[in-house]
Amino acid sequence: MRRRRPWPLVAPAVALVVVFFVLPYANLVVMSFFTPARTRPYDPLLTLSNYTSVLTDSFQWWILWRTLKLGLLTTLFTLLLGYPLAYNLVRVSRSVKGILLVLLISPLLVGVVIRSFGWMALLADNGLINSLVRYGGLAPQGFKLMYNEFGVLVGTVHIYLPFMVLSLSGTLETIPPDLVPAARSLGASAARAFWRVVFPLSLPGVFAGCLLVFVLAVSSYVIPVLLGGFKVLTTPLLVVQTAVDVHNWPGAAAQAVMLFAASLACIALWVKLMNRAMRGLPG
Amino acid sequence: MSDPARDGFGRERRAGRGRLSRAAFLALIALLYAFLIAPILIVVIASLNAGRFLVFPPDGLSFQWYVNFANSGPFVRSFFFSLRLAALTTAVATVIGTAAALYVVRHASRNDLLRMLLVAPLQLPGIMTALALLIFYYAIGLGGTSYLGLLLGHVLVCTPYVFLTVSAVLYNFDHSLEEAARSLGAGRLTTFGRITLPIIKGGIISGAVLAFITSFDQFPISLLLSGVGTTTLPIQVFDYLRFSFDPTVAAVGTISILITLGVVIVTERLGGLESLYWGSRQ
Repeated sequence: MRRRRPWPLVAPAVALVVVFFVLPYANLVVMSFFTPARTRPYDPLLTLSNYTSVLTDSFQWWILWRTLKLGLLTTLFTLLLGYPLAYNLVRVSRSVKGILLVLLISPLLVGVVIRSFGWMALLADNGLINSLVRYGGLAPQGFKLMYNEFGVLVGTVHIYLPFMVLSLSGTLETIPPDLVPAARSLGASAARAFWRVVFPLSLPGVFAGCLLVFVLAVSSYVIPVLLGGFKVLTTPLLVVQTAVDVHNWPGAAAQAVMLFAASLACIALWVKLMNRAMRGLPG
Repeated sequence: MSDPARDGFGRERRAGRGRLSRAAFLALIALLYAFLIAPILIVVIASLNAGRFLVFPPDGLSFQWYVNFANSGPFVRSFFFSLRLAALTTAVATVIGTAAALYVVRHASRNDLLRMLLVAPLQLPGIMTALALLIFYYAIGLGGTSYLGLLLGHVLVCTPYVFLTVSAVLYNFDHSLEEAARSLGAGRLTTFGRITLPIIKGGIISGAVLAFITSFDQFPISLLLSGVGTTTLPIQVFDYLRFSFDPTVAAVGTISILITLGVVIVTERLGGLESLYWGSRQ
């Protein structure tokens, strides 16, 4: 006779996720088909007008394009900066690795608002970097380092870099360390050994890391607000504005669904590209 | 084969070049770590800086921003509110997350599907989850910004961390220990308390720490779900930063960094950072 499964153990967690996660998202999708109203957040009358107004608004498209562009640039830069970090991390001794891991994770453990403040103190017009620039006589006006896309990009790259490094080091760790000496002994240069042996084998980590960072980056909210100073409007900002300031819930829901659809399309494209790149790899 | 490394001269030159490129690589790594740490160091330095802005040459040392923080009613209130909320969230998330991990790892047959469902709150953007919750609360009549609603939102995004860290430990668990205890006459509860719990303690503590930090630093969920009287610290800080650059924020930031650091050091002593590392990847 089989023992009864102790399902009450998992019931609270499942109930929590179903009631306060699955249902609210389902409700959000339904909301995007409701009619906006003047005196309350919505009227429960079905309509497609939210989507037609989002899809025919060139401003919405332009904001969406900027959101995706910033997401892609963030992904690209975290990959470029994260690869050397991950490569180094899997090659150091165990004790050094412990210290590096703490350094790598510690930014993750400081709230996003506090981190943004740190960047503001560095990048502001009268912040530390510009003060150094003026002191050194490099540029008397200083540089415009935040309240623009550059500032937002610095913030998002900083925040998501640890995620990329952890994804990459997970895969790099599985590559047998003798492969590079083997390639070298067969006459390959260090660069060739890297590009023909190590890099192709690390593609699964590149794939997962880019996916993770892109998904997080296109939905980031705090960084664009604080380091973009409302001058760099992205779709998540627009969604919150529409919902909270304009009080148009159906409109906000439709914009949110648009953002999800657009990021899914990007992800599908990426999966297809990576499948082609990884064809022929073992395992 | 005319490999330059074969003759002595070539090997020497190549080794020299290798050293140089290795030094350049290590310099790059050092720069990247500096980039990672910079904003956090800057927060600490700004909190001790006498002037409003960090400038070069520096203005001198001062504790005035800490005094400002201690004298600011809204900051102190939201600080203690956040601590209480994080403590309650951690308690709830730890219990239901641990229980769920015990079930999924040991008893579930379709355990991939359950796992996916339970970690789903980490996969979707917090700000969208917050919006969905706000609208949902209104629909079920919970009210937009009640304490209960805020707490449930926090528990929702913190439980997956506990679930992940405890599952990680349970997968490496040697079941024969429990069987031995049972065969020696220990009851189910005694076995759990004397054998299972001590072994999975590390995973539970790491999970609880992650849950606490996630709740204490939580931004998107709190932004849309906190209201008058339920303002958390990150929201209070954010409201200040939106309109002005006030170094009191640096003092607040330094204090929260110290709290986080203290919690992490204690965890490192108790359970090791490995499982923390595993959990934060998700």
